[in-house]
Amino acid sequence: MERNEIQLIVNGFLVEEFEINENLINPEARLIEDLGISSLDFVDIVVIIEKEFGFKVKREEITQIRTLKDMYVYIENRI
Amino acid sequence: MMKYALVTGGSRGIGRAISVRLALDGYYVLINYRSNKIEAEKTLFEIKSNNCNAELIQFDVSNSIEVQNVLSGWMDSNKDKHLEVLVNNAGVNKDNLMVFMTDNDWEDIMSTNVDSFFYVTRQLLQNMLINKSGRIVNIVSLSGQKGQKGQVNYSASKGAIIAATKSLAMEVGKKKVRVNAVSPGFIKTEMTESLNEEELKKLIPLNRFGTAEEVADVVSFLVSEKSSYITGEVISINGGMYS
Repeated sequence: MERNEIQLIVNGFLVEEFEINENLINPEARLIEDLGISSLDFVDIVVIIEKEFGFKVKREEITQIRTLKDMYVYIENRI
Repeated sequence: MMKYALVTGGSRGIGRAISVRLALDGYYVLINYRSNKIEAEKTLFEIKSNNCNAELIQFDVSNSIEVQNVLSGWMDSNKDKHLEVLVNNAGVNKDNLMVFMTDNDWEDIMSTNVDSFFYVTRQLLQNMLINKSGRIVNIVSLSGQKGQKGQVNYSASKGAIIAATKSLAMEVGKKKVRVNAVSPGFIKTEMTESLNEEELKKLIPLNRFGTAEEVADVVSFLVSEKSSYITGEVISINGGMYS
């Protein structure tokens, strides 16, 4: 899967499931500070990533993700 | 749609009354027990006699690996069933004056009453958060609210759970998971059968010990929609002893 495709899926679920303003989405955006995602929302993010990309996310890995770019790279390296 | 609940320490006393009450409320109840299968079977029998449904689930709540293996095993085999209610009831006491208290007296109480809360709740919490539906009720004690001589270990353990109840309620409220505690005073169970009720009831405004069924009714309320705006609370049920 290409990086563009990953970005499209991730950005899509952030807008749909977490009602993030599309204008705020850019690779450098920090999930908590800039996008307003709460640390508890990571529980849902894990489930969505596992469903969309078909791999098991470890709790300790997801807590290392700070920015959207981190998330794209993490998914890219795992699939 | 069937609703699912787990009651730890459901084989006897308050745990049995809660299991029966929740089954009558329409829950399919997982009755946890550690070693006393005969008593656990009695709880199951009582539920089935009321044309309700339940099953026994054996594990030691104070053993992290066992909790993880047994509960994740149940959840893996029942992927379509959401355990939306957890009652952390399992608890023990080993009373002694602190000056005579052994390391074991302290560690056993902390492990069964505090570690168990952490292990079991963590295991069920993720699905509650994902499903955005969950009610957790921790059975604590009047001894966790006020001082009680001879119960430094027990009081500390129940006080810890009261504090944990409040913090967890703050963490998960946004995901529609409610966390409350029920704090019984003197209740007629095996744990209190060695106490002198005639003497002690003089300290109780309602002039009697409570029943396990009365505690179960409070739990029933806290897991129901009737308490939908209550979280992070400790509900006392003590006949007015501590007000």
